Amino acid sequence: MTNGTNNQVVVTGIGCLGPFGLGFEALQQALATGVATTKDIDRSAGYHRKGSATQVAATGDQDLTQWLSEDAGRRMSQFSQHAVTCARMALDHAGLTEIPSERTAVTIATAFGPGGFTERLALQVLQKGGKFASPFLFTDCVANAAAGQVAIATGARGANLTICQREAGPLLAVAQAAYDLRMGRADVCLAGAVDELQPLSYAILDRFRALARPSLHNGKTEELPRPFDAKRNGYLAGDGGTILVLEREQHAIARGARILARVGDSARAFDPTAPRTGHGHDSAALATRLQQRLGEQLRTVDTVISAASGARRGDMLEAEILRSALPELPQILAPKSVTGEFGGGTLGSAMLALTGANFGTPQGCTQPDPTIGIELANGPIHARHVLCSAHAAGGVSSWLTLSQP
Amino acid sequence: MNTSSHEDPVVVTGIGAVSSLGATAESLWQNVTAGTRGINELSLFKTESHRTKLAAQVDTDALPEQFAHMSRADRFGCTATEAAVRNVPGDLLQSGRTGVFFGSSTGALFEGERFLHKLLHNKEGDLHSIVGLQNDGPGNAVAKQFRCGGPAITYSTACTSANVAIGAALDALHSGEVDVAIAGGADELCEITYAGFNSLRAIDAEPTRPFRKDRKGLLMGEGAGVLALERRSQAIARGATVLAELVSAGRSCDANHVSAPDPEGRGAIMAIRQALLEGNLSPEDITFINAHGTGTPHNDASESKALHAVFGDRTGSLPVTSTKSMVGHLLGAAGGIEAVLTVLSIHHHLLPPTAGDDPADAELGLDIVLHEARALPPINVGISTNLAFGGNNSVIVLRSPQHSMPHTLRSRGQDAK
Repeated sequence: MTNGTNNQVVVTGIGCLGPFGLGFEALQQALATGVATTKDIDRSAGYHRKGSATQVAATGDQDLTQWLSEDAGRRMSQFSQHAVTCARMALDHAGLTEIPSERTAVTIATAFGPGGFTERLALQVLQKGGKFASPFLFTDCVANAAAGQVAIATGARGANLTICQREAGPLLAVAQAAYDLRMGRADVCLAGAVDELQPLSYAILDRFRALARPSLHNGKTEELPRPFDAKRNGYLAGDGGTILVLEREQHAIARGARILARVGDSARAFDPTAPRTGHGHDSAALATRLQQRLGEQLRTVDTVISAASGARRGDMLEAEILRSALPELPQILAPKSVTGEFGGGTLGSAMLALTGANFGTPQGCTQPDPTIGIELANGPIHARHVLCSAHAAGGVSSWLTLSQP
Repeated sequence: MNTSSHEDPVVVTGIGAVSSLGATAESLWQNVTAGTRGINELSLFKTESHRTKLAAQVDTDALPEQFAHMSRADRFGCTATEAAVRNVPGDLLQSGRTGVFFGSSTGALFEGERFLHKLLHNKEGDLHSIVGLQNDGPGNAVAKQFRCGGPAITYSTACTSANVAIGAALDALHSGEVDVAIAGGADELCEITYAGFNSLRAIDAEPTRPFRKDRKGLLMGEGAGVLALERRSQAIARGATVLAELVSAGRSCDANHVSAPDPEGRGAIMAIRQALLEGNLSPEDITFINAHGTGTPHNDASESKALHAVFGDRTGSLPVTSTKSMVGHLLGAAGGIEAVLTVLSIHHHLLPPTAGDDPADAELGLDIVLHEARALPPINVGISTNLAFGGNNSVIVLRSPQHSMPHTLRSRGQDAK
């Protein structure tokens, strides 16, 4: 560590985009309604089966020209475009017009990477032959393309990491960034998550029965994510991006930055009982690891930004862990009902909970599951100490605490 | 900046490797020290529609049957891990304090291609074959197979992935988060990346020639390389054999180009210097380099410039090798298998050659180990470099176990604050 000097890590900026639009305010407005912005997934490629999920919380094509010139955008996948947009938005929000190049790191999580470019490249190779592969598509279809493009766009020459750990990735990325800052390896880190969900990935998730499917409610067909609800039958797949500016506190103070939140401790664990594409049942071991890592910090938690997404087993696992690890259940929010799964919506929601933002009741949550017994909070949320949680299909869990400055 | 003042250093107590040179680290070592190339004509998929035909493909018949139900990458990862943790007691592995730190850039992409191919022909593929499709597939497979309850995290930074993962494992051990770390990477050959590198004209149609004047590109490979890591006090307490010490790591980004290295190697210079700084080492301490050495004209030139910038006048007499000349470029797993080979070089005081008959490119000004393995001094500090798409650079430093080091070098690591 840094020998007695202040090694606190703070958040000084945020950039985000998603189906709700561009920016922190757009996210705030969406969360206040409790309604996700969705559209029909493109089924034209023929990947989808009858009776499968149809709705996606897709970011789609948005006007990014405030943050990314059309010329620069044309040379990138949508995945990289979104990452660069979020990074520049976050730096602007943090008032960082000039970054310390060699002391600025980038850590981005992604579940799918640049899905669009990868799918196009795959079709070129599999349908036409290897000689038809486009070098342009190939160079921007690696998972770390977004982090690399962010570095090029911002001049960040510090460590450049990409974490692929599905739903747990965004919290792992922020925890990694905070660790590197505390170790003195950087003064600033752009950390968060970006995802681009394409029809092929969507169709595969649906085959694994991960997604909320159409079902009959009160005489009409609905397809909604229902975190902790008795009628939940899967999550809403979404995409977008969220990038935070993390700084060593002394760096932020020295430049007179506005501090939005303080990054606390984090925990991570694996549940070997989890099937490769689902959630396991060893909530006791996961809760123990959470307690061992966060200890007394758990006593101060007044708000949980929950991993609950409407996944049948995942939400149950989340409830079991929270009940075991926390002395009593604080107010709980499940923002993935609005942002969709993937794209780091949890991070933006946690930041909003620390600013007293208004959270609406999720549209699909009308009948709390009695076996879970959690009713989601709504209205203005004045959180002081937030616990963010995430449980990825396949067994990885991660937790992160954020507090008011 | 934190430097390596840890009184309880992190040591390597197990290794495992799967490559085109066999299913074990022993067969790998035997072959690479003899300069044997594991290069063959691809049989995994048809090569008629590809510009080149060669690769370093793993013979899966040589792998244990135990993991045959898995994707290739998962199978490579689990096979290498089983060897690496062979001497780690099961209760320690399953204590909840063993973490898995893996790198992968493809996951089960080969199986994913087969699945997509069927979808395109209106058929349903085998869902089970793609449970490891995402890049965290091999890491998750290892954590599940060996029942590790600590952190499991996958880094996907293209060709630096496993090197980055090993650095992350070092952090987790230093911080006390875990007692054992399984660290490395696994990747598999697939048509998309093979075609992609060919589209960049980055693959040599002939056996790759790293650091040679006529080098024309890389050789794609597949496999896994895994280290078992723990703190020295625990290793000694349980009577484990200490193969090497993992000293430090360094990372950086060129922030220059999405696929080409910085022509002056500026990012690589930063990463090497950071690794030396965190290890409280000076360039003079380094005794050999397991280089990234892909065999592409740009990589080898850029990497050479970085080595000259860091090591100055010593560069021309510092032995450098590229083991990719024999096992190919394992992409996300390259840092894993090259870490295994760096450990073995330290353990056996022997540096494998950079295979090939051509003379070294004199313009690079490096002491490339050619033709046959070279004896190293009994005490070594080696670095393993990996450089990647996205301008990504990652370096790890390994050295002879400290109890065998002269006091002067040992104390430099111990006394730093």
